Amino acid sequence: MEKILEVKELCKTYVVNKRQNNVLKNMNFCIEKGEMTAVMGPSGSGKSTLLYAVSGMDGITAGEVDFCGRNIAKMNQKELAELRLDEMGFIFQQMYMMKNLSVLDNIILPACQSGKIRETRRETVERGHVLMRKLGIIDVADNDINEVSGGQLQRACICRSMINRPAMIFADEPTGALNRSASDEVMEELAGLNAEGTTIMLVTHDVKVAAKCMRILYIVDGNIKGEYNLGRYDRTKLRDRERALNGWLMEMGW
Amino acid sequence: MYLQILKKDIKRKKTMNVILLIFVILAATFIAGSANNLLTVSSALDNFFEKAGTPDYWFATTNASDMERFEEYAGENGYRYHISRLIQIEPKNVLIENEKFDYSNTLALSTLGGTRVYDKNDREITHINDGEIYVTSFIFHSGKNDFHEGGKIRISQGGIEKEFTIKGYTKDALFGSAMAGITRFLVSEKDAKLFEGEKAAICSSVEVHTKDDSFRDRFNALAINTIMSVDHSMLKMIYFMDVLMAAILLVVGVCLILISMVILRFIINFTIAEEFREIGVMKAIGIKNSAIRGLYAVKYFVLAFIGTIIGLGLSFPFSRAMVSQVSEKIVISSDDNVFINIGAAAMACAFVVLFCYFCTKKICKFSPIDAIHSGETGERFQKKGMFHLEKTHMPTVLFMAVNDVFSGIKSCISMIIIFIMGTLLVIIPVNTINTLRSDELITLFNMAKSDHVISQELLFHPGEDNRAKVSRQLSEVRDMLKQNGIDADVFQEIMFRSNILKGDKRTNSLSFQGMGGVTTDRYTYIDGTPPQNVREVALTFLIAEQIDAAIGDEVMIKVGEDTKTYTVTAINQSMNNMGEGVRFYQDAELDYSYAAGCFGIQVKYKDNPDKAALASRKAMLEKLYPDAKIYTSGGYVTYMIGDVAGQLSSMKMLILSLVLGINVLVAVLMVKSFITREKGEIALLKAIGFKNNSLILWQTLRIGIVLIVSVLLGALASPFLSSVIITPIFRMMGAYSIEFKIRAVEVYVVYPLIVLAATAFAAFVSAQGLRKISSSQISNIE
Repeated sequence: MEKILEVKELCKTYVVNKRQNNVLKNMNFCIEKGEMTAVMGPSGSGKSTLLYAVSGMDGITAGEVDFCGRNIAKMNQKELAELRLDEMGFIFQQMYMMKNLSVLDNIILPACQSGKIRETRRETVERGHVLMRKLGIIDVADNDINEVSGGQLQRACICRSMINRPAMIFADEPTGALNRSASDEVMEELAGLNAEGTTIMLVTHDVKVAAKCMRILYIVDGNIKGEYNLGRYDRTKLRDRERALNGWLMEMGW
Repeated sequence: MYLQILKKDIKRKKTMNVILLIFVILAATFIAGSANNLLTVSSALDNFFEKAGTPDYWFATTNASDMERFEEYAGENGYRYHISRLIQIEPKNVLIENEKFDYSNTLALSTLGGTRVYDKNDREITHINDGEIYVTSFIFHSGKNDFHEGGKIRISQGGIEKEFTIKGYTKDALFGSAMAGITRFLVSEKDAKLFEGEKAAICSSVEVHTKDDSFRDRFNALAINTIMSVDHSMLKMIYFMDVLMAAILLVVGVCLILISMVILRFIINFTIAEEFREIGVMKAIGIKNSAIRGLYAVKYFVLAFIGTIIGLGLSFPFSRAMVSQVSEKIVISSDDNVFINIGAAAMACAFVVLFCYFCTKKICKFSPIDAIHSGETGERFQKKGMFHLEKTHMPTVLFMAVNDVFSGIKSCISMIIIFIMGTLLVIIPVNTINTLRSDELITLFNMAKSDHVISQELLFHPGEDNRAKVSRQLSEVRDMLKQNGIDADVFQEIMFRSNILKGDKRTNSLSFQGMGGVTTDRYTYIDGTPPQNVREVALTFLIAEQIDAAIGDEVMIKVGEDTKTYTVTAINQSMNNMGEGVRFYQDAELDYSYAAGCFGIQVKYKDNPDKAALASRKAMLEKLYPDAKIYTSGGYVTYMIGDVAGQLSSMKMLILSLVLGINVLVAVLMVKSFITREKGEIALLKAIGFKNNSLILWQTLRIGIVLIVSVLLGALASPFLSSVIITPIFRMMGAYSIEFKIRAVEVYVVYPLIVLAATAFAAFVSAQGLRKISSSQISNIE
């Protein structure tokens, strides 16, 4: 399988009041194309920091992060912004959106800003509609962002992350602010996207969410303590996957 | 504990607190300084006249028998009066530092006495040493000659020659304005006597002090031949241009106060909105409303107090700088009103504290959760976004800026008001200056349009054949031009003092007759038809009003000893002597031995030359008449009324700097506050791949769009507002209606671009601050 993300000796250190805090310590792992990887671990273990470091949203202290064959540690802010715009998609726990734009406008915003896909505004809008239809939120396309539910908004965020056909989607607790049923719906959509070939790396606390991923990285104190492979997601075997994952997490000290 | 919270607050919200402090300082400076100016300037002329003891009526005459008649009459009626001698000096006989004196209006040598005069430090001049000379302020500051204290002035006339040392300049209520048409140099009694030879043209300047309201009518009834005669109110009007500048200052002052209020309101609202979350937390843990309000009241009081004290200190130099130009000619002291500054500054401080306290009133209404949600309940019934990205082809960043502005127009109102006011403050003086400098203005001075004016006024002596003198001079100029291959109309306006009578109503006024073939149809009239025979006249609306005359009425006009009946055929307007004027038919027979004066020789080329040709002909005239000054029509008006446009220009620069300063500060403040408020959105946009430059452009464009809208609105409103604000002042001067000269490129392009460029640049620099926001901060956004 082709590697899409390769992390070598990744370190991330914060200095607070002249005291060093090593959040990520010599991490090594890789993610292959088409994988759906969950990062789990206790609070403060460095999960979100890892996600932001490997996606170029935050700088790293040492090490190497190869994304699609390019070392993002050596890229400047402008190149990183271009990379995030064209090759990465982001989903956050809170459904951050531009307040003055409609749901559809928020979704097509990255496509309008990017020059990756040569198309007219009409074609961009059409692609936005296709994604929204697929995620079942086409009815709220012209709504204000305050006029839709949290679940719909998070699906809109997924659409936005997909609009530039990214090589990989990074999701930081994408279901953290949703109720169980909305969470299930969103995860089904993400699993569906993964099934179609989109690589996804997500951070979660939720076993039910992680159980839909292929691989789980368990982080403690900035180190990868363990790795568990669940194999490709099969909805019919969800209970078994959850049970197996729970067992493994217990072993890890969850 | 409170102190601890305050200390932390001041440190943590350093930027917003510093911005608030700056604006409180600015507001206190503007409010205190402008309030002082409002008071000082609005009563400046009255105070100056009272201090100087200006007469209730003033006239000048060269007629000795008329003077005798007046003295007899005044003695009988118990009028108090003072007579001083004005020894007329031809400007060509004066050398300033060995340079030709660049002045061609009536100049006289005089001595102290009568109306008090003051020096540059507003001290009364009570004594002049022999060999010393004082120059009126407007001449001293004209910049045309090298006038400086200790400089030399050489006067040679009637075989007498003397060099004087310039002692300084005077603030002379009676002769201190270029619009008086006559000015004086003050010398000692002994030096004045030197020039009172047989050939000297001496006129008597008579200052009458009386409370008799009917004096003017009684004086008119005496039918004294005067060179000039004005009452107290008209004397004040001579300072019209200074009043105009003062009026502009007042407008600027009022605008600055309004701007300060708008800014303070915005910044206080904004900073308190920023505190809502903390207020919510404090409420949630059980701190009482009064205690929370007290905490913020203390904070804003400290900021307001410090800002006000600094602002108060700055308001004094600010006041002085603003009135400096007006106070060159008028005794005016802004320092007399220290308590006004203190009172106004205290009001500014109280305004800030009370407004803050009023804003914190909301604290009581909100539940802790509402406060945590920044005062928003989450309910909204209107669409936020006004436009749709999907329906536009605009670049994304431009779309976002446009959409933000029009979706949140309410939050931009403060900015729009300030930018519009700023634009108007710059453009209105520009329109006024351009109008004052336009060639068309000459028609408001009882003159026909011409291309050039040769300032070679003749000195008329009573009893001489002045008509022949004028004709000869005009023929000489005409011939000279012909010899140089130029065919031109050469004409000149001759002035007479005249008494006008209709029934029992009478008045006196300057009268005009054009000589040299200029016909009455070449002047502008408001109503009626130009006089077409020797018994027809046009009156200005002011004179017509004074004697209740209308078109078609017959009036008696006395010029010299000759009284004739004329039919009024037209009404015109004039800024000579604040609206005085009678226009005679060009061939009307008038006694030229009573001619009171004349304007320069006007030249109107018959071949309608272009700009370049006009410039070369001006140079040629300068060579042909080295002793005279050659003006364009606009230049001649400037020369007559003083370089008010020039003074306004420097005031315009002061206002422009002030406006740019305010705009820059407002832009910085707005961008900083937008960045603070939109940290989350900025981090989101960075996270999804927007580059810093795009985001900086977004922020700059937003301010730019608001600015463009404001500048456009301001520029579009400026012709109307110029007319509304400035026309009444011209009307006081006798101009019934005035067409504003609007230079489109200057008004709609140059100045708006300067304002746009400076403000947009400030916004751009300020927006650089968003570089510090990292995309990873999205998870920390509250």
